[in-house]
Amino acid sequence: MWRSRLNYIIGGAGVVLLLAALWFFSNPLRSQRVQAGFLGMIAPFLKQGSSLQRYYVTKKEGLKKLEDLEKEVIQLRVVNKEMSATNQALRGMETENNRLRNALGYRERSVFQLMPARIIARDASTWYQKVIIDRGSEELIEPDQAVLTESGLVGKTTNLISAHTAQVILITDENCRVSASIEGTREQGIVKGERATKATLPKIGLGFLSKQAALRPGLTVYTSGVGGVFPSGIELGKIETFGLRELDAYATVKPSVDLTTIEDVFVVVSDTK
Amino acid sequence: MIFFLILLILMFGALVIQHFIGPLPMLGCRLLLMQMLMLYGAIALPLHGMLVVTFIGGLMWDALQAQQIDGAYQISMGWSVAFYMGLGTIMAGFRPLFLRGRWEVHCLLTGVLTAAIPLAEFIMVTVRTEPVQWIFDKSVAWRIGGAGLIATLLSPLLFFVLNYLAVLTGYDPQPERGTKPTIR
Repeated sequence: MWRSRLNYIIGGAGVVLLLAALWFFSNPLRSQRVQAGFLGMIAPFLKQGSSLQRYYVTKKEGLKKLEDLEKEVIQLRVVNKEMSATNQALRGMETENNRLRNALGYRERSVFQLMPARIIARDASTWYQKVIIDRGSEELIEPDQAVLTESGLVGKTTNLISAHTAQVILITDENCRVSASIEGTREQGIVKGERATKATLPKIGLGFLSKQAALRPGLTVYTSGVGGVFPSGIELGKIETFGLRELDAYATVKPSVDLTTIEDVFVVVSDTK
Repeated sequence: MIFFLILLILMFGALVIQHFIGPLPMLGCRLLLMQMLMLYGAIALPLHGMLVVTFIGGLMWDALQAQQIDGAYQISMGWSVAFYMGLGTIMAGFRPLFLRGRWEVHCLLTGVLTAAIPLAEFIMVTVRTEPVQWIFDKSVAWRIGGAGLIATLLSPLLFFVLNYLAVLTGYDPQPERGTKPTIR
């Protein structure tokens, strides 16, 4: 008798606890604080896990020979010099471009400032496509900053940011929408991920295209810069298929970045000089 | 008490490990290890233990998964807490059988309830995404069913290891082992 009464009391306490939790989390600001706190708490373990994983992968691949490393260093130096020269030239063109834009009365085009970051963990959920990077609020990471690699756009930071870690929503997630333009055309559309694409071949969809847009496979899709989150001109991927729907045209796009294997990314921390 | 704390630590560890286990190739389903440990806790621990374990499990999951879109949460935090407590209650309903040393039904139930987690998440995400589109194709079915299937296959081993660990720490999760059911 007393046992069943005790169970009722415990059950009641459980319901009260649940209601208190639901009330507490009804405020988004409080929820965000709890999330950031928990991310900060779990981050050291994720970083350790990431280091272990890298160590294991390196061991599995085997150590490189000294001669191979020397060759690689020489190659990298050449590439580095080429890229520095190209960068120098582009900076000059950028200055010229901004001067001409000023002359025409347009707003000066902003410049990227990139913060290198490493992916320390991938999302554990079934329906979302997110990663955690090892840079946080202490490194000037803020919500809705574009994340990219040298190959193209990766995603954007979410509101979940702790001192030294931040969550990034990938462009393959259905909640990450990017306004896009297509190479060589005046077409613009919205790129959005799919909820359950095959894990090995994530695809993104490009919708809201005009029905007259005769896009052929292979065309490159870039960010258009509309909306202000993503700078314009970042590669998103290449068109694979194109078809008409009832109200608009739709294309599937193969992302230019292999989002299943990337390890290092850059966050656009500031778009002013 | 020691086993209860160990179980909580294991759940935290499982949550960390889950971030390094990718989806199963081709199927896309996940190994929901933390949830499996939590469901074990729901049958191995008494009612108050079950409530705490499911509460913490749901809270940890939400803390990492709840997602804000345009300033509002798509699925608000605390939702998993409520859902996991519900799953824990179902699991606890089968506890008398577990106490008598049986675990076959519980392993199957772990699979079913583990599959219920991505299913419920799918329904919630679908309902909360504009425009509401019910696309329940083969890949969605595999993500849900696959998680349950993995849980069913792994749970006997997990139950065995955890039962052993419980006994090692001085907690017997099946004290009525070998006794026959009494009709009240």
